[in-house]
Amino acid sequence: MEAITGWWDDFFWGSLVVVELFFVALILTVLFGLIGAAAKLSKNRVAHAIANGYTIIFRGTPEILVLLLFYFGSAITLTAIAQAFDPEVKFVDFPPFWAGSFAIALIIGSYATETFRGAFLGVEPGQVEAGRALGLSNLQTFIYIRIPAMWRLALPPFGNHMLSLIKDTALVAIIGLEETLFVAEQAIGTTGKPFTMYILVGAIYLGFSTIITLSVMLLERYANRHLEIAS
Amino acid sequence: MSFDIALIIDSIPKMLMGIGLTFQLLFLSLALGTALAIILLLMRISGRWYLSVPTMIYIYIFRGTPILVQIFIIYYGFPQLEFIRESIFWPILREPFGCAIVALTLNTGAYVSEIFRGGVIGVDRGLKEAGAALGISATHRFIHITAPIAIRLCLPAYSNDVISLQKSTALASTITLLDMTGIARTIVAETYAPYEVFVSLMVIYLILTWFIQRSFGWIEKRMSRHIREEV
Repeated sequence: MEAITGWWDDFFWGSLVVVELFFVALILTVLFGLIGAAAKLSKNRVAHAIANGYTIIFRGTPEILVLLLFYFGSAITLTAIAQAFDPEVKFVDFPPFWAGSFAIALIIGSYATETFRGAFLGVEPGQVEAGRALGLSNLQTFIYIRIPAMWRLALPPFGNHMLSLIKDTALVAIIGLEETLFVAEQAIGTTGKPFTMYILVGAIYLGFSTIITLSVMLLERYANRHLEIAS
Repeated sequence: MSFDIALIIDSIPKMLMGIGLTFQLLFLSLALGTALAIILLLMRISGRWYLSVPTMIYIYIFRGTPILVQIFIIYYGFPQLEFIRESIFWPILREPFGCAIVALTLNTGAYVSEIFRGGVIGVDRGLKEAGAALGISATHRFIHITAPIAIRLCLPAYSNDVISLQKSTALASTITLLDMTGIARTIVAETYAPYEVFVSLMVIYLILTWFIQRSFGWIEKRMSRHIREEV
């Protein structure tokens, strides 16, 4: 255990990067999920086909491959663009943080698309019709009726997506983001204690998973508070 | 930047050389993981706390940490420990292939046992009671009544898990194994053509995913043929 002494601060900053990555990717995931669900539910055949292709591709290919494609693909494209303006430029890359959060958000977003689609379909049509009858606009029914009724249904599966999301952040170390797994590799280089360091990374992730699981439980209780029997 | 068709034609056969390893990783860890899952399930539902509590902790740890970290702990971390280097498992844990199989098996075992538990819980209580009323012993009730129905119930979730296991096999490339992803990464390192290589590999993985889904769809249809109405 004494091998970790002196590395605590590095692991702390690494964990902070994981948290940042998680929240940025989470916002993007919700965004991609909502857009995907809207496209799948729309009557527009082109939007429907694009959303279908999106979920098939990102749910059927390994996460690591999507990540590598995003990082190296964006790097080669950016370098080509930069060289068109200035031939002196050797290499430009998209920051691993953003390449990573986009790749992860697109992957988890494809799962969220299906979850949100199901949840929107689960909203009782009567409630939407009631809103219409009261003279609410399309946008107002969406914000005041569909969203509050839908997130309650989407919450349990979405909690699982959040767990997958936090676990996928570990992959971003492969493209060189300085998060916990990356810190562990550096610490191993100096201390020669791989088991201790990787177990610590595992413990950090287990802590994050626990926090997410507990938060989702509290949120579920909050979402269903109107269903509780008054005591 | 150009899109090199010749490179695609050239690299696809090279990547397919790794399909054997991908299949070995998939089928071996699926078989071992399913066996482990059955043991974990029986321990979990045994009703004895000294069997079910360790199982719950095991499942909690393996579902709460990233599979990449688990692979790194086993491949890079275990050699640090004296007693593992002297144990009879060392010939397996010395090789990256053995480590990948062990990590994937332990991980899938945790996920699949939860799926199986869901299936067992889903079996109608009345059926078990009917069995008890007929004087069938608990063991026989489990084998002849609970298990066949539970298998049918958890098949869709199980097929999803097979697909995510197939995606996880790509992570074996991070511990020097040359599966399809490992070969693709080598080709990209040489040619620096991420789009051509990674996108073609994604198509290969999509075909495999489609194949898994189709096979399970066929099995599901066959297993529920007594429910389907004759057309």
